[in-house]
Amino acid sequence: MKEQRIKNQIRRLRFEANEMTQAELAEKASVTRQTIIALEAQKYSPSLELAFRIAKVFDVPLEKAFQYN
Amino acid sequence: MQFLNDYSNRELNIWAELVLDIIVSLYFISRVYPLLINDQFNSEALLPIIFTNIIISIIYSIIVFGAIDIFTKKEKKDERDYFYELKSYRISYYLSQGGILCIIFLIAYNAVYQENIGLLTLPKIAMIFFIIAVISSTGKSLTQLFNYRKSI
Repeated sequence: MKEQRIKNQIRRLRFEANEMTQAELAEKASVTRQTIIALEAQKYSPSLELAFRIAKVFDVPLEKAFQYN
Repeated sequence: MQFLNDYSNRELNIWAELVLDIIVSLYFISRVYPLLINDQFNSEALLPIIFTNIIISIIYSIIVFGAIDIFTKKEKKDERDYFYELKSYRISYYLSQGGILCIIFLIAYNAVYQENIGLLTLPKIAMIFFIIAVISSTGKSLTQLFNYRKSI
């Protein structure tokens, strides 16, 4: 399987945000829970817009939530 | 019920679509094949089969898609859904293009070697188009399901 080059810290950020559930994050970022599951499993690279939306939910800069390897 | 929990509303809809494709194609081919063998394949014989197929599809859609919408939470499409949909349309496009090329080849082959495989009549061409449509739709559903499962 092709390895995703964009890594993310979503799971950790959720934990730090009072253990926010995947469903809550999905709702705030306007995506489905399955997309959050795929992102956390590092099996899906989000669009730039979604990456910004997720970073905004956690109130962190983009590079704290997503890294390019 | 565990099955419903393991799959999202969208995945269940794709599964249902896939099963519908299989049911419709199996019914169609099982009814049309004897006509083909007995050389009774014509538009008059084909019409009731197509009509029954449409009725089966409508009844199946009302029951199965209705049940999925009742028992699972409907979710709005997001970018991942559109991305996988595009990927599956690409596969579907290649399959239909391949099928159309096969038809062109068959027509050309028939024009040259008529005595070998006989003339391709309009109902026969229609049936080939139907099979191509089913294959292309099945390919689309399978690609979507594969992508959804792969990313979970």
